[in-house]
Amino acid sequence: MVSNQISLNISDQSSLDVWRYIPVILSVILLCPIIGIIITATGDSDGLWWHLYETVIGKYIINTLLLMCGVSISVLLLGVGTAWLVSRYEFTGRRIFDWLLMLPAACPAYLVAYAYTDFFEYAGPLQNLLRYFFGWQSAQDYWFPEIRSLGGAVFVMSFVLYPYVYVLARTSFLKSPSSYYEVAKLYNKNSFFYVGLPIARPAIIAGLALVCMEVISDFGTVEFFTVETLTLGIFNVWLGMNNLVAASQIALVAFIFIISLLVIELKARSNRKFSDSSQRQTKIERIKLSKLSHLATFFFCSLPVFLGFILPVCLLFSHSLKTNYHQDWAQLLQVVINTITIAGLGTISIIVFSSLTAIIAFYRGNSFINKLSNLASTGYAFPGTMLAIGVLFFAGFVDNFYSIGLNTVIGYSSAGFLSGTILMLVFAYTVRFQAVGYGSLRSGITQIPQNLVDASYIMGKPFNETMRKIVLPLLKTSFIAGGLLAFVDIMKELPMTLILRPFNFETLATYSYQFAHDELIEQASLPALLIILAGLVPVIFMNKFLREIKV
Amino acid sequence: MRLKKLIFFLPLITIFWSNNSFANEVNIYSHRQPFLINPFLEEFTKKTGIKTNVVYSTKGLAQRLKAEGENSPADVILTVDIGRLYIYEDYNLLQPIKSNVLDSNIPMHLKSPENKWFALSKRSRVIVASKTRVEENTIKRIEDLAKPEWKGRICSRPGSHVYNRALMASIIAAHGEEKAEKWAASFVNNLARRPQGNDRAQVKAIFEGQCDIAIINNYYFGKLKYSEDKQQQKWAEAVNLIFPNQEKNDRGAHMNISGGGVAIHSKNKDNAIMLLEFLSEEMSQNLYGKINFEYPVNPSIEPSEELAGWGIPIEDKIPIIKIAELGPLAQKIIDRVGW
Repeated sequence: MVSNQISLNISDQSSLDVWRYIPVILSVILLCPIIGIIITATGDSDGLWWHLYETVIGKYIINTLLLMCGVSISVLLLGVGTAWLVSRYEFTGRRIFDWLLMLPAACPAYLVAYAYTDFFEYAGPLQNLLRYFFGWQSAQDYWFPEIRSLGGAVFVMSFVLYPYVYVLARTSFLKSPSSYYEVAKLYNKNSFFYVGLPIARPAIIAGLALVCMEVISDFGTVEFFTVETLTLGIFNVWLGMNNLVAASQIALVAFIFIISLLVIELKARSNRKFSDSSQRQTKIERIKLSKLSHLATFFFCSLPVFLGFILPVCLLFSHSLKTNYHQDWAQLLQVVINTITIAGLGTISIIVFSSLTAIIAFYRGNSFINKLSNLASTGYAFPGTMLAIGVLFFAGFVDNFYSIGLNTVIGYSSAGFLSGTILMLVFAYTVRFQAVGYGSLRSGITQIPQNLVDASYIMGKPFNETMRKIVLPLLKTSFIAGGLLAFVDIMKELPMTLILRPFNFETLATYSYQFAHDELIEQASLPALLIILAGLVPVIFMNKFLREIKV
Repeated sequence: MRLKKLIFFLPLITIFWSNNSFANEVNIYSHRQPFLINPFLEEFTKKTGIKTNVVYSTKGLAQRLKAEGENSPADVILTVDIGRLYIYEDYNLLQPIKSNVLDSNIPMHLKSPENKWFALSKRSRVIVASKTRVEENTIKRIEDLAKPEWKGRICSRPGSHVYNRALMASIIAAHGEEKAEKWAASFVNNLARRPQGNDRAQVKAIFEGQCDIAIINNYYFGKLKYSEDKQQQKWAEAVNLIFPNQEKNDRGAHMNISGGGVAIHSKNKDNAIMLLEFLSEEMSQNLYGKINFEYPVNPSIEPSEELAGWGIPIEDKIPIIKIAELGPLAQKIIDRVGW
């Protein structure tokens, strides 16, 4: 059995380590839908690539890269900047900004895009006001950026996606040992560039990776703004040319691209590790600010909250007042309950899967197991619809196997247990959002001092007890951060829920979409607002929790 | 250890939403939004006592049906756009139906040759033009939009949207690939702005003066005209609706359909057929016009009053399946001309 309890060499290959099977098995399960997509992509694409190469693929790639770069730069500025300010400085409203800054995560990007188009376009209230104010007569009299554009997409996505970076970076800043900051102070070095940034780098990159995957797989926003990215191309090829094979091939190209980026980053930081061997629980002294920088800080933190949350919510609210659509409130309540239930189940599943893979792979796994677990958390990089098709493929296979098996064993045939059930939906969410839980935990683990774990082993404590007593408690904040992001992500998830859900099952996202799809933003607004409102619950919960453990 | 208990009960919770189908039900995979089909389904249940269950998605339901195979609970497929129906047939996911009611209610050119799918309503792709900036009767055909006089005056949503792709296919059907591509290139050359937005947004752009002409589906005109939002009513008032290709000997306006079929492994086949028949009958056919400004397919039913008020178009009567078959080629042309 577990013979290396005392051994410090965790990656000892000699013993038969049952723990190791857990991350391997779970990773393989998570990878099945991706394998489904790969199998689909091996078919014959009828020479479509030549047509794509000649016409559109270059445009798709360039637009995707520009969008990804633009969003990456601005989420880094917004996310890391605000996280640093609220964790290191004392200023008016800091405690409120602490959680206000997370709220934009609850806003579905494509609905913000709808609302913003109405607001920023030529006939929108903003330009009307400008024209009235300056006496301009027509569009020729002045210049105003076009919202339905690449720039507009960068703008909208940045302000709803930066919380991924913010939440993870902030957790990391708060957990970094104050001794490091003291040393930086002693040597008169900039504590952000010499301490904060290097320490939080795994967390920041984990957040950025989530953002990039979200950007590359987004369909709703780019479709509405007509930014011709690879994902838009996938749908043109699949639905327009009835060619799922070529569509899966494009999806795989995008997937490989983003995985390569992640591998490069992992390599680059592989020999850097930061953890405080003393781990003194000293409270970080927040720095007081001068008047002018106080004001600037306040403004810098308000901007993303205003543009990512307050303005979209106000716009959606004003739209929702404009309709007299007969709202069935009992039905809506049922939809809210469905949404929260499914998001809760999904979050639990993600936490179980990601903790079992991330923690065990890190402490017991060899490099192969680690790579496999990393790979299993990349479902996020596929457009939801493609991944849903992968999940269908897998579920259909399992169900067929099950019903044929059942028939041969007991001579009774039954439909499967997976297809079209909540179970399949929860599984699909786990495949898609594993990255959220996994990334959060992985970056948290790197901050746990190895000597604490070693000490526990030396004292003869077995692996499971060491994990329970040392590692899990130290990962609490990472669990909460990952769980929160996963919960909010599931609540607003649209394409997979649409395709995979059981009969008569609506979530707020699907309920809102049936109207949004018909360009009825007024009717779509109320359920969208409820998504955001429900997103407040975990945010407030997290905030309360973090206060209690006094980080 | 409340968490442990919760995890223990998880499998039980999932059973609540299980896949079981019961006798007097019909299970629907729908590409049409619930708020648009529910009024039909409520009437259907009232009349027959058959309970309806719906999954709605815009994409991917054909893949779901295919992956589920023989275990699939789906009975009826309801779609918008002929391209989607065709995909179901192409994947062999529909079964041929023998129904006298459907045969008599739905004209030949609006159903599959093997009786696998049936059109249930029609919508027309129409031109709208500014009342003030485009003189009446200067645009009569969809081909006119390629004329150089409209340079910088046309707005459009992206060509790869299903409605535009179907329109493109109808032009290929009428003129052949080469001429159709020429038309598309000149049309794109006439655009006032990069293709963007949806059909409503094009009418709005005309109202704002960004362009003078656009192509939309006829029902959006109705939805704007009778909108709850006063502002949107103004957009509709700013434009004239033009049915293209109406002159003698011309082919008529391009029509697309919404339709349905019975899933190949349907467990409630009788109920499924009953639902399709119900949708082709008088009450439903009238409802299509009332709820969504769509034209009835049943020749014995008159279009709704509002619809008739804008004139009844002469229709392009090519077999609708042609439009679906030409879809991929249409998309290639759209890619090439950058629409």
